[in-house]
Amino acid sequence: MSPKTNVHTLQDFYNPNVLLNLGPSHPATHGTLRVMCRVNGETIEDAACEIGYLHRGIEKLGETKTYHQWMVYTDRLNYCSALNNNIAYAMAVENLMNITPTERCQYIRVICMELSRIIDHVICVAINALDLGAMTVFWLLYHWREEAYTMIESMCGMRLTTTYARIGGMSYDLPDNLLERLWKFCDEMPKALDEVEGLLTSNRIWIDRTRGVGIINKEDALKYAITGPCLRAAGVDHDLRRDRPYYVYPELDFDVVVGSNGDVYDRYLIRLEEMRQSIRILKQCHDKIPMGPLWVNDKRVLIPEKMDVYTKMEVLIHHFKIFMEGIDVPPGEAFTCVEGPNGELGFYIVSRGGPKAWRMRVKSPSFMLFQAFEQSVKGGKIPDAVAHLGSVNIFAGELDR
Amino acid sequence: MNRAAFILEQGKVAGRLMEKYAKDRRLEADRNNEPVLWARDAKDAKILVKSFMLDDHFKIDFLSDVTAYDNQDGEDGEKRFIVVYQLYSLEKHIRIRVKAAVDLNESAETISDIIPGANWLEREIFDLYGIKFNGHPNLRRIMMDERFEGHPLRKEYPIKQRMGFKDNIDFHLGGHDLKVDSNLLEGQVTGNALPEGDK
Repeated sequence: MSPKTNVHTLQDFYNPNVLLNLGPSHPATHGTLRVMCRVNGETIEDAACEIGYLHRGIEKLGETKTYHQWMVYTDRLNYCSALNNNIAYAMAVENLMNITPTERCQYIRVICMELSRIIDHVICVAINALDLGAMTVFWLLYHWREEAYTMIESMCGMRLTTTYARIGGMSYDLPDNLLERLWKFCDEMPKALDEVEGLLTSNRIWIDRTRGVGIINKEDALKYAITGPCLRAAGVDHDLRRDRPYYVYPELDFDVVVGSNGDVYDRYLIRLEEMRQSIRILKQCHDKIPMGPLWVNDKRVLIPEKMDVYTKMEVLIHHFKIFMEGIDVPPGEAFTCVEGPNGELGFYIVSRGGPKAWRMRVKSPSFMLFQAFEQSVKGGKIPDAVAHLGSVNIFAGELDR
Repeated sequence: MNRAAFILEQGKVAGRLMEKYAKDRRLEADRNNEPVLWARDAKDAKILVKSFMLDDHFKIDFLSDVTAYDNQDGEDGEKRFIVVYQLYSLEKHIRIRVKAAVDLNESAETISDIIPGANWLEREIFDLYGIKFNGHPNLRRIMMDERFEGHPLRKEYPIKQRMGFKDNIDFHLGGHDLKVDSNLLEGQVTGNALPEGDK
């Protein structure tokens, strides 16, 4: 396919049909996203998104790796909230195997998911503000992201790509001082949120740049099936944590935040409030987390103690079986969704028995969001597109898989 | 919604499905106890999606996902691919899965005219499995390059078979037409107006 005649004349200067390419590696896209726009002056009249620049065939790899091996690939989906993906995936496989994690494990998982939600929202709000020139917000919030990552590091030894969850449990129990640190985090982080709110919420420049910009209204949001904060910003009261509860969420007290306009400003407000709600959940988890076993007592998935592996023959064989051969998942299928930071993150696994999945489908929220972005960016200005793109928080890793 | 109410709601859904829709269709439950309804064929799947959206017992108003899987081993019938629609109701918080078998030389029906969000999802299926969707407005590859050959998620596609391209694709506006103002341009177009698409 070759381009047609590429003739440039003086008339192009007055062309109402100028094509403008944004991305695939533009600093304001935060990932390899490509938006091709037809602009008239500064107004985007038509847009087409090109994706796939980070396509690594993760779904195909899911069919060729064992269930345990594939855990590391989930980190690389939404790399800013890897914990959330790990746990959602572990939950999907556990549902296939009819395993319910222990209560302590469930609490740890909820703590991890809410921490990663905070991190994800911090990134979104901070980067969005940074794109629009408000750098202070970035420094204020990233301090707390750093603190959250340090906590995660103490939990599982890694910061970004955590691989913390295991099918049937977690790779490590919480370190001794974590709950204490978590409490301190919950106490002090809202102060930073207050400061951010003081800087942005009633800031004239911020309001001018965000209110009425990048609107995805209720009708469009439902039509394009977006989920998460962007759907709630459009005024749809939907949160899987409350509507289709999993783990210990029914026992925890939190509010679902709903906006009305579906613009960048609403999405910013929603993310701020969701961080507060997450902190509320974290505080309750801190108080309620029980002692007790971390792992389910199920021979199919239980990874033996390291000490026993070194000293006992049978345990060594069992360890080898789990890691060299993989766990045996019975035939069947399940579609398990969690409320990820950006929306409904689902794993649809079709198993035909054996240690590898027959079909590993990742339903990523970013994919639907970018599709809606393609539609809603039309009619806005080019700088508005940057604000819009920052506020829907699309991750290329999750988008392209 | 508490757990008991939830199970009750799911039971109601299964009952209604059994009574109204499952007479000559296969109804199953998956490992999460969610209903899976097998459409008779691809056209039937679209009819089912439509009627679920109108049925007051379900109030399906949200598309969770459209995907497909390869049925190379013939476990799910003779046809080669299974297209899967994941439907959700924002009001009743229930999920229904509709499945339709599609053979290699058959095409599925697009639902992007009912739910526009299916547009990219169907493009993805077309890209990775090679299933065509009748009536789709813009059926092009989405993940892979437009010049790519083969469909990577088919079981026979080798995991390490790669296809590199030295240059980027031409600049164009996807399936959208360039609205050219002929008075100003006199027939001259900058860039490539429309791709041939993947045929």
